[in-house]
Amino acid sequence: MISSTAGLLSAVLCIAIWRSLVAFRPLGPRTRKSTETCSIAVFLGSGGHTSEMLTMVSTLDFSRYADRTYILSEGDLLSAEKAKSLERTKAHNSKKSPQPCTILRIPRARRVKQSILTTPFTAAVSLLRCVHLLTIAPLFGGPPVPDVLLLNGPGTCVVLCLAVLFNRLLGLPSPRMIYVESFARVKSLSQSGKLLQYIVDSFVVQWPQALAGIRKGVFHGWLV
Amino acid sequence: MRVFVTVGSTRFDRLVQWIVWDKVLDVLRDNGYTDVVIQCGSMGFQRLPGNGATSFESRGCNIQVYRFKPSLEQDYDAADLVISHAGSGTILDVLRKPKPLIAIVNDSLLDNHQKELADALSALGHIKTLRDAIHDIGQDTLIPFPPLDGSRFRMILDREMGYDV
Repeated sequence: MISSTAGLLSAVLCIAIWRSLVAFRPLGPRTRKSTETCSIAVFLGSGGHTSEMLTMVSTLDFSRYADRTYILSEGDLLSAEKAKSLERTKAHNSKKSPQPCTILRIPRARRVKQSILTTPFTAAVSLLRCVHLLTIAPLFGGPPVPDVLLLNGPGTCVVLCLAVLFNRLLGLPSPRMIYVESFARVKSLSQSGKLLQYIVDSFVVQWPQALAGIRKGVFHGWLV
Repeated sequence: MRVFVTVGSTRFDRLVQWIVWDKVLDVLRDNGYTDVVIQCGSMGFQRLPGNGATSFESRGCNIQVYRFKPSLEQDYDAADLVISHAGSGTILDVLRKPKPLIAIVNDSLLDNHQKELADALSALGHIKTLRDAIHDIGQDTLIPFPPLDGSRFRMILDREMGYDV
């Protein structure tokens, strides 16, 4: 009895360790034909985060990244407006009627100037919503998990990444996570950048000085 | 002429209060800036000379205040001078117009990074610190800000997602 329990426990432990190792390993490259489309989820972190992200998204070929979802914090009305305005401009420039895009809202993990003490509670609520969005809903006939998730801070996007890791732990489909550090970050990373450099599949900075002392990262000039 | 003051998506009460200070309004008015439009963020209007009004007159300047707008594009276009916080979004938008900009580092934010960006951009010659601006007065020595190179991010993502680039 004791030995079978111990055996079972060690098997569970082995599986847990194996899955954790898998979850933290960046996704390998996968080739796509030039005609294939990609579904893309874009986190809009409000203020400068949103404007930098939408500038980057505006450079993409929308017929390739055809299925677009914008994820924003609850109460962030400006980002929703800006995303819709980008969608209209892109449709107008390509002389097409506006394509449908999805706008999803998640509770903020931490508000600007919120106390450090209450942050774990708001972050937990935010995490539950993200797990629902990325793990539970796709399992029960909801919208499928996107192919790629673009992030550039602040805190709430860390919670989204944790939900993606959870999917990887369970061996469920997960998006490729790409984090672009802000143009405002010259020599040091933001708090979310510091955390997410260990988790995301690709980490991009916009100043060469920011590469010093980080685990992984690429620099291809200013992106905004 | 019109000056547009913007604090970004949070607040920067010190900047707004400095702008509506009598002595600053006098300087603006004497230099022909009689229209002052202020995007003040989540600051209370009661703390302004208009006593809660969104449009008022002070020291010969017509002042309009609002909290947020979906897009500041029209206000940038209508302005002759922009005075703002040193946020990256605002700096990029205004320098790409291009419009004259005075940016002030907001050091009340957590984990402040505005100074870092301002220092790096002034090292590249795109903006000037106040000390250099006074030193170089009368000379136009700023290096124009480069336009957006859209091919970079497109290439990064296409490569990441396994497309031939």
